[in-house]
Amino acid sequence: MEAMQAPEVLGIDAGGTMTDTFFIRPDGSFVVGKAQTTPHDEAEGIVRSATDALKQWGLTAEQAFPGLANSVYSGTTMLNRIVQRQGAKVGLILNRGVEDFPPMRAVQSFSGYSYEDRIHLNTHRYDAPLVPRQYTRGVTERVDGKAHVVIPLREDEARQAARELIALGVDSIVISLLQSYQFSAHERRVRDICREVAQEMGKPDLPIFASCDYYPHRKESHRTNTIILEAYAAEPSRRTLSHVDKRFKELGATSDLLVMASHGGTVSWKANELARTIVSGPIGGVIGAKYIAEYVGRKNIVCTDVGGTSFDIAQITGGSFVIKQDPEMARLVLSLPLVEMDSIGAGSGSFLRINPYTDSIQVGPDSAGYRVGMCWEEGGVDTVTVTDCHVVLGHINPDNFLGGEVQLDYDRAYKYLKKQIADPLGFSVEEAASGVLELVNFNLRQHLRSVISAKGYAASEFVCISYGGAGPLHTYGYTGGMGFRDVIVPAWAAGFSAFGSAAADFEYRYDKSMFINLGLDSSDEEKTAGARQLQEAWDELGEHVLKEFEVNGYPREAVTLKNDLRMQYQGQLNDLEVDVPIPHARTVEDWERIADAFEERYGEVYAHAARSPELGFSVTGAIMRGTVSVAKPRIAEEQLAGATPSPEALVGERKFFVPTQREWVMASIYEIEKLKAGNTISGPAVLESPTMSFVVPPGFRTRLDERRLFHLQET
Amino acid sequence: MAVITRTQKKAAMGITWDRETLIQHRAGVLDRTRETGCYNGLEKLPLKEAEPIVFERLFSKLRSGVVDARETSKKIAASPIVEQEGELCFTLYNAAGDCVVTSTGIIIHVGTMGAAIKYMIANGWEDNPGIEDGDLFTNNDCSIGNVHPCDVATIVPIFYAGTLIGWAGGVTHVIDTGALSPGSMATGQTQRFGDGYQVTCRKVGSNDELFRDWLHESQRSVRTPRYWILDERTRVAGCHKIREMVLEAIEEEGLAAWQQFSYELVEDGRRGLLKRIRSLCVPGKTHQVSFVDVPYEHPDVNLVQPYAKINTIMHAPSTIEIKPDATWALDFEGSSRWGWHSFNCHQVSFTSGIWVMMTQTLIPTERINDGAYYGTHFHLPKGAWMNPDDRRTAHAYSWHFLVSGWSPLWRGLSRSYFARGYLEEVNAGNANTSNWLQGGGINQDGQVHSVNSFECAADGVGASAVRDGVEHGAAIWNPEGDMGDMEIWELAEPLLYLGRNVKADSGGGGKYRGGSGFESLRMVWGAKDWTMYFMGNGYMTSDCGLMGGYPSAAGYRFEAHRTGLKEAIAEGLALPLGQDFDPDARGYEDALASGAIVKRDQQCVTTEAVFEEYDLYLNYIRGGPGFGDPLDRDPRLIEDDINNFRVSPQHAKQLYGVVMSQSDDGSWHVEAGEATAERRAQVKQERLARAEPTRAWMQRERQRVVDKDATFQVKQMFASSFGLSEKFLREFKTFWDLPDDWQLTEEELHRDLGVPVFGATKDTREDLSSLPDVHVVTFVEE
Repeated sequence: MEAMQAPEVLGIDAGGTMTDTFFIRPDGSFVVGKAQTTPHDEAEGIVRSATDALKQWGLTAEQAFPGLANSVYSGTTMLNRIVQRQGAKVGLILNRGVEDFPPMRAVQSFSGYSYEDRIHLNTHRYDAPLVPRQYTRGVTERVDGKAHVVIPLREDEARQAARELIALGVDSIVISLLQSYQFSAHERRVRDICREVAQEMGKPDLPIFASCDYYPHRKESHRTNTIILEAYAAEPSRRTLSHVDKRFKELGATSDLLVMASHGGTVSWKANELARTIVSGPIGGVIGAKYIAEYVGRKNIVCTDVGGTSFDIAQITGGSFVIKQDPEMARLVLSLPLVEMDSIGAGSGSFLRINPYTDSIQVGPDSAGYRVGMCWEEGGVDTVTVTDCHVVLGHINPDNFLGGEVQLDYDRAYKYLKKQIADPLGFSVEEAASGVLELVNFNLRQHLRSVISAKGYAASEFVCISYGGAGPLHTYGYTGGMGFRDVIVPAWAAGFSAFGSAAADFEYRYDKSMFINLGLDSSDEEKTAGARQLQEAWDELGEHVLKEFEVNGYPREAVTLKNDLRMQYQGQLNDLEVDVPIPHARTVEDWERIADAFEERYGEVYAHAARSPELGFSVTGAIMRGTVSVAKPRIAEEQLAGATPSPEALVGERKFFVPTQREWVMASIYEIEKLKAGNTISGPAVLESPTMSFVVPPGFRTRLDERRLFHLQET
Repeated sequence: MAVITRTQKKAAMGITWDRETLIQHRAGVLDRTRETGCYNGLEKLPLKEAEPIVFERLFSKLRSGVVDARETSKKIAASPIVEQEGELCFTLYNAAGDCVVTSTGIIIHVGTMGAAIKYMIANGWEDNPGIEDGDLFTNNDCSIGNVHPCDVATIVPIFYAGTLIGWAGGVTHVIDTGALSPGSMATGQTQRFGDGYQVTCRKVGSNDELFRDWLHESQRSVRTPRYWILDERTRVAGCHKIREMVLEAIEEEGLAAWQQFSYELVEDGRRGLLKRIRSLCVPGKTHQVSFVDVPYEHPDVNLVQPYAKINTIMHAPSTIEIKPDATWALDFEGSSRWGWHSFNCHQVSFTSGIWVMMTQTLIPTERINDGAYYGTHFHLPKGAWMNPDDRRTAHAYSWHFLVSGWSPLWRGLSRSYFARGYLEEVNAGNANTSNWLQGGGINQDGQVHSVNSFECAADGVGASAVRDGVEHGAAIWNPEGDMGDMEIWELAEPLLYLGRNVKADSGGGGKYRGGSGFESLRMVWGAKDWTMYFMGNGYMTSDCGLMGGYPSAAGYRFEAHRTGLKEAIAEGLALPLGQDFDPDARGYEDALASGAIVKRDQQCVTTEAVFEEYDLYLNYIRGGPGFGDPLDRDPRLIEDDINNFRVSPQHAKQLYGVVMSQSDDGSWHVEAGEATAERRAQVKQERLARAEPTRAWMQRERQRVVDKDATFQVKQMFASSFGLSEKFLREFKTFWDLPDDWQLTEEELHRDLGVPVFGATKDTREDLSSLPDVHVVTFVEE
């Protein structure tokens, strides 16, 4: 094989059932492979999937891996380990007196519930704690909220606790003491005592985790859960990843395996804070969207992903993700920077029912998932879904679903839509099905609008990127009338998340909670001191970031650092992440610029009238991000052809029901792979590929650009 | 508009639909409702039937809009009560002041803000002070429907092209209202005058801007102005967001669609309730009752009014009647009279609050609105604690008995669910949502401060018929309970945590155990001139188990002064940390200095007491009641309970009749085989030995009733109920087969015992309606 054609980047999406691999060449061409996930040895499934992909290019793994400049892993194994409570046996040291708090507060009985179940009390339940009570010990000490020692650490108790836990055979020890995010000495002393005891007891390698070394953030339940995850799930996962990395090296790979992390960048499998790789799959699409945005020169993007079960929205503003600092995941409150995603339980597989109490159409919240709907008998569901509506209205070709692998049954969809929805409402099937689609589209649009406006923006400032298996079926529906600057549907929308994870920056992000309180009437000396204190925090975090890169062999000068912060009005409990316009904080003027940036952001998010500068400002957190450049997939550029598609791209015509107009029309059917850059198609049309259907109704037009991005416009 | 027509066609120049005045409009809505039984005469739902998609679109938009308003604006607040605990709610009303959609949160305010709007309508606010586009109104007046003064509402009229087409309302629970004592729900005052700063539907702004006189007056009327102002900004921002969304909906769907929708959805809500009742319940009546203690005759309750310094019991008998047509009636005939304490409440707080509970069980839906109110017949006797007939009553902690007054409704409904086979829906009742840790002084930042811990948002939940109640998980006023992070509470309060643990033995026993409560041990730290007090049930359990289950444990108080902890810390001595596992063992006291002053008793309502650095305060959050006979409980669950410190070994032995042993490592083993079975059989024999025939017992009890052989508290409670209800007296006499001339009055108690009974007779009470130019709005059958 010629070097030019060897793949450069590998993206891996190791799901619970299937492992996808995605290889991309420098010219932008790519192949996707699939294999079953092999939980006993994940490397095996990945290599099989890679082999499956590479054979499309006539390559073997041994031929392809030596040339890879970057391989990125994303997967659900860590999440599964947590959900199934199959993590390590962790010993926990807390303050004496509050040993119950992890099972009491760190989990919530309604976490992850739909609204109706959140209020429906008898449905509430707790998951088992990650650390059973018998593996928890307390040590006497207390520090107050201003970092003053109230009760000095009683070291003999720490020693005793360590002894008992090690005797119980724990795999690791986690230490989390109250207020340690601002006073770390006690926690670190307990950590050192545990190390000494471990040494004495012949376990010199026993991992010991102090929360202040990893996640120095306010809110003990979030911080403790996160550090527990580090011991409980991340360390076992690190062994898995190290094994995959080793396998890749055996195949000739020369670069370290990277892992998708919650903050939207990748980290090495050697990273200190590995727990943040707990979520990686859904973020891929957001990163892909950001990547596209950079290609098309846009800084404000709203990413929309319609899958089988949910509609996910994420925003990129000013070229950055919106980050949430204390998210809930796997029904646990955590303290991790997470790319903020808003989800509603509405997807193409959502079940449709007539609510018996309100006689209204109810979409979801549960879903048929991979079982599609009534139109696929083998799926074994007994309730109609949104997909059934698409089938009866001619929006999906029943003979070309997943490239024809799954044959859908139009008559079945029609029959059950009639019985379950149309007849009870006294409508025709078409009216009922299009009513459902209208409602789904309206809900998606409404959700999209509220997510945008909640952050203080208008749709006109954004480009909307639509992807996911079912995204392009609804794109017109949820973007129509919104006034986006542009609406983009990548021609490879269905494989977009895998693409995205390969496009991530190699980025470490460190955060630290802190308190700098300054009022409008603070003196210049106070403001200067505040600026300096902030700078010290940035310097400290910068060191952490640089050290992480050093582990992976990157010199300091190769790292680009960016400082940000979190801020609020004094006394408030919610802070905002602020994009800091200056690289350093040293002077009164620096402070003023930071405060201005915060006020600007606050006004955008909550309305200008809600600004309360008279209360003074609090800096609540320092943030430092560092990136190095890594190989990313290149998006191929095609020669522009004419506006009219070639005749072979037009594969036929089909009856198509227009939901908004309530009438049948004939739609042109195009094969996406045969469309050329520059081609422009006016609705009614359906653009199809084996993995997606892109609906262009009357009143809409789409143009395929040279990067194979469709732009959807209202005419 | 096919349905909404003018009833009074006089040449009015009002501000709402068809240029009706608001008074005319509301009267028309009520007339049509009365005539047809359907809200606003809507026997059909033309918009929903003809345009179901438009109808759903409007619902979806408006509902997500109010939820969004709440989520976004709450981040403005600084108060952990609002931000952490979510004690805020936003609601959209139609022009008549009836709720169309409401957000999540404390949805009791669906009714309370509606009552304020209706008060403005009835009292001619339209003419004076005038209602205009851009106006802002504030209300927290408890005598017209507000729950307690700390729930402050902002109300914004919504105009379209010069016509008032609806209202947006937002409420937050503020941290201090300038009452007699610091904290949002003060104790010690026995009248409205001292209950906190109260504002009656006052116009506080125009052109979307708050008046300066209001800002100055309101902020200096409370102890915590910073929280106050940010809470107000939260409410205003949310209301404006809702207004914006309604106007946008009108642009999208048309004015006529909004007008029709804003009434149809209420009727739709009424029908929804009926369908739920039909599908989950059986027709018939259930009777139930609850009580709570008002222990004011105690040295630690400092009162200005001497006549209030008596111990009394509040009484709430209730009847649920489910009729064959699936309508229902909730009747509280026989409730005791209001009292000289701050636990009274307005009828609307009582009725509206019931929906907070019903959305957790009967109607767990986002489609809750005033339709449920129109679908329910309420009977609350005038003069009762939940419908006072005196304008002096105090309401600061009306929840003291609201939470217990409603708890029996869970039991009544649960019998219905059980009969229908919905075992999972059965719930033995809610916990008494206390203790309330409150107080104030100078905080750790040197500022005047009040504290009001909301840890009691996470009480134990009643058991169902298939599993234990949720542990420390909810309050009746908030199903999404959250005790909050300790590090956040330590920011808000100068009180260090020395313990936070599950409260052993707090959940009621049963085949399925009530959910446990929890306890936090706090040490005063960094405060100056600091006071605190307790509030909750202590001498009585205020719930009741179900079908053989036990009630949850009652409360108790622990506070300690001159603790010697400073020295104990310095010298590395034992400290009081963690669980007060066995209160009888007085474990904390072992670690205190010999001269320590400890108050450990059942006096769970106190007034301000001085707390110094290193003093201790135990905040014990109650558990929920149990279901079924404890002897039927699976021994493995009991073993688990003991080993996780949820049930004490001595309690397990006594209540569950199990045989158990302890291993060397301290863990317990509960025998699940014959030994326990034998012990349980023996307990059943012991029960039989103690039992006597019902008739014999009743005969004995009857004689006690005839002789009036009861404590003052019991007699006063019944006397005050009899004083309000001839019917209840009759029922009581029939039940006990009492002589015709048997009577029990408050006056006779005064005569015989010399106990003051102020307000006992009609001529010593004065209703709000007696004030000039006041039109009181009545929402229930009295």
